[in-house]
Amino acid sequence: MTMRCQEALERLVEGLTGSVPPADREAVIAHLATCARCRQEAVELEATAARLRESASFTVPPGFWPAFMNRLTDRMAQDRLPLLARVRRWLGSPRHAWATAVVTAMVVIALSAAARLQPRSATSPDPSLVRARGLVTETMTVTLPSLAEMLDIWRAGMTEVDPHLDALQRRSP
Amino acid sequence: MDAEDLRLLEAFRGGEESAFAALVIKYRESIYRVARHMLGNHEDAADATQDVFIRAYRALPRFDGRSQIYTWLYRITVNLCLDLRSRLTRLPLLDDEESMRDLPAGPMIEEEAAGREIGRIVSRAVAGLPPRQRAMVVLRLYQDLPYQEIARIMGCSEGTVKATMFAALRKLRRVLAEQGVRAP
Repeated sequence: MTMRCQEALERLVEGLTGSVPPADREAVIAHLATCARCRQEAVELEATAARLRESASFTVPPGFWPAFMNRLTDRMAQDRLPLLARVRRWLGSPRHAWATAVVTAMVVIALSAAARLQPRSATSPDPSLVRARGLVTETMTVTLPSLAEMLDIWRAGMTEVDPHLDALQRRSP
Repeated sequence: MDAEDLRLLEAFRGGEESAFAALVIKYRESIYRVARHMLGNHEDAADATQDVFIRAYRALPRFDGRSQIYTWLYRITVNLCLDLRSRLTRLPLLDDEESMRDLPAGPMIEEEAAGREIGRIVSRAVAGLPPRQRAMVVLRLYQDLPYQEIARIMGCSEGTVKATMFAALRKLRRVLAEQGVRAP
């Protein structure tokens, strides 16, 4: 079989099993007109395709599709995701991907801006508190405004000594 | 993408579960037919069709819409059936319902019986093809998909589909001739 025959028969099969562009059909017909071997093969392949198509249809048992849908609905209900996961799924769909990214970026920018614009204390920090405050970041004090005050009270309690209490302690053995 | 499918897809993404049911009703018979040809019997085909739609239900929110929904569903179906078949070393078990093909009602019982027998032989011949070859034959002959779509579903070139179809049809012609099945 020449390459031309192979190509012609492949196109023939394409036509027998579905559709083929008109130009290709013309080329196949032209080839078959000159090649007896391919003509014979074409007849047999056509008969095979017809036989295969003829025995293609199936029937399903009565009531199969309603039962199928009921079973599928049950399985889908079991498969249904909790609310949070569904929201995540909704946000994750390609349609919302850009919107989600833009909204997230805007929220991050807004939070950073709010943190930067927070008014700072006018007085300089007490040098005795610097060491303790070294452990406390600016973000912590911004998000927990009372933290700085708590630190001050704690620090005062550690450094200021009641003179009467001190005298009593010195007298005791 | 098909306008109706697009509407249903958008509705499903918007939270309408009934839109998915509509897609199932639209495509269930095509999917079942492919599975039935691939797996050879009703029970396996019914289970596979269920699994196809469950997988689609889970994956549909991430469906990018670059292909038709039916192409995507066929791809799931073919992959699932190839996976199921690879677990079995034997040929697919053809059930007795293979002989329940739709035949034109005729008075001749013998003729009907002969038709059923031929149908069984044809099904057996198709089932005897290598799995990927069988998938291509089913998609082309029984679902009328263009070569381009089949290539997309099977993850190969159009040239491969053409060559495979040609080889498959020749093989089927030989097998049917050996079984004494003539042209209709």
